[in-house]
Amino acid sequence: MSLLKIQDVVTAYGKIEALKGVSLEVAPGSITCLLGPNGAGKTTLMMTVAGILKPRKGGISFAGEEIAGRAPHDIVARGVALVPENRLVFPAMTVLENLLAGAYQRGDKKAVAEDIDRMYARFPRLRERSAQHAGTLSGGEQQMLAVARALMSRPRLLLMDEPSLGLAPLVVEEIFRIIAELHRDGVSIFFVEQNAHMALKVAQHFFLIEQGRISFSGTPGALAEDEVIRRAYLGSAQQ
Amino acid sequence: MLDFLQAVSDGVLFGATYALIGIGFTLVFGVMHKINMAYAAASVGGAYCGLLVLKVMAGAPAWLVFLGAFAAGGVLGWMVYLTCFHFIPLSSPLATLMSTVGMLLLIDEVIVHVTNGMPQNYPLMFDDVMLRAGEFTLRGDLLLVFGVSVLVMIGLLLLLYHTRLGLATRAVSQQPVAAQLCGIRLVRVNALTFVVTGLLGGIAGALIGASVGMLSPLLTLPLTVKGLIVTVIGGLGSVPGAIVAGLLVGGFENVLQLYRGVTERDLYVMLLLFVFLVFRPGGIFAPKSGRD
Repeated sequence: MSLLKIQDVVTAYGKIEALKGVSLEVAPGSITCLLGPNGAGKTTLMMTVAGILKPRKGGISFAGEEIAGRAPHDIVARGVALVPENRLVFPAMTVLENLLAGAYQRGDKKAVAEDIDRMYARFPRLRERSAQHAGTLSGGEQQMLAVARALMSRPRLLLMDEPSLGLAPLVVEEIFRIIAELHRDGVSIFFVEQNAHMALKVAQHFFLIEQGRISFSGTPGALAEDEVIRRAYLGSAQQ
Repeated sequence: MLDFLQAVSDGVLFGATYALIGIGFTLVFGVMHKINMAYAAASVGGAYCGLLVLKVMAGAPAWLVFLGAFAAGGVLGWMVYLTCFHFIPLSSPLATLMSTVGMLLLIDEVIVHVTNGMPQNYPLMFDDVMLRAGEFTLRGDLLLVFGVSVLVMIGLLLLLYHTRLGLATRAVSQQPVAAQLCGIRLVRVNALTFVVTGLLGGIAGALIGASVGMLSPLLTLPLTVKGLIVTVIGGLGSVPGAIVAGLLVGGFENVLQLYRGVTERDLYVMLLLFVFLVFRPGGIFAPKSGRD
């Protein structure tokens, strides 16, 4: 059974349909990547799964339960966390407060404190900057913070919307190293990327979204073999 | 010179109530990016409701009336949220402005009808206390106004910076989408912000009533304007800004009342606003970051 199952989802802004019937599945324990050009509906899909946007039609089930149209806090409580595009940290709150906000729904103070320690162990830069306002962090540090904040809700499925956007190559590698690490720790990951080269190194399954519809679904091998996709997303210089 | 100092100190002490009203406007703006035009009227309304304590229990001590105003302010705040915001499309910039202006007029009308348009006496506290240093005096009732206001502000800052609700409030005001992704309920934080600002307003209204000695529906409009001026001068969304600006406006208007009389006073307050709008439109404490 799949962990996340999206069926014929239509999400619209007024009359404009950004998602025109999207269906896809994310297997438990997998790393799944959604590729696609600007404006294809990648962010809309992530926001719809997280409950910020309400789908007009279609179903979304998580771990066998229907979550389409539910409120974001309900979806977080069920174990889905989204690291949004552009990170969206709370700029005038400290790093520590950002992490506490991520654990907002959890009542177990002791376990939250332990998780914060765990995040600081994984992201040592965040520990150094614990008392600093998040707005003063570099882009890479903010991305780490956004990931750590999302993990503070102890998600079973981590959604990430373009985690490498606007970051230096070294930082991007760091982000992908963390994605692989989280996966080893048992978190399922479904992420949006434009950087197909990096995505190919970690993801086990790919979807391609174009103009609000899924146009390809397959393994990394199948993706690399597809002539059209290779030209559009991997550059013609490949092979 | 002594007159000047006296006017400044009396004004600054009374200005603490303006600071409270300014905080109310600024907090709601911070969380929802909307102006609650009914805020000052609901605050005065809360102070009126405090008088009900005297109806129920003749000869009740003044502090009980204040407590009643505080509680009633919170209830009114929640009612303003429910009637003027909850069911109104927030995407339309004018909708909540109109609904809250309507509420402002409604509260005014209700007060006029219930009291037959007569000003109501308000219980005083410490009005017979007077601290003297030569010719310079500190009025006991104004010291009470200032002291209670400071206590309320400290309480608010503790709430904002040391509680779960405060964390949620700040998160929503800085980044509403991310706050929702953290599992924070936007609607609940919005409603509770109205309750908290209502509590503040109720106590501010009672303090104004106590230092003036009476309440009148004529208070609501000038107080609305003052509150908005304080909010703009302090910087929209900044609580420390509202505090400083409230005290500043209080001192400023009292000095001009001394030299130019009560009828001209508000003219100069408007002029002060104008100066800020031209030279420092972000206010004294322009907030470090809004939503991007």
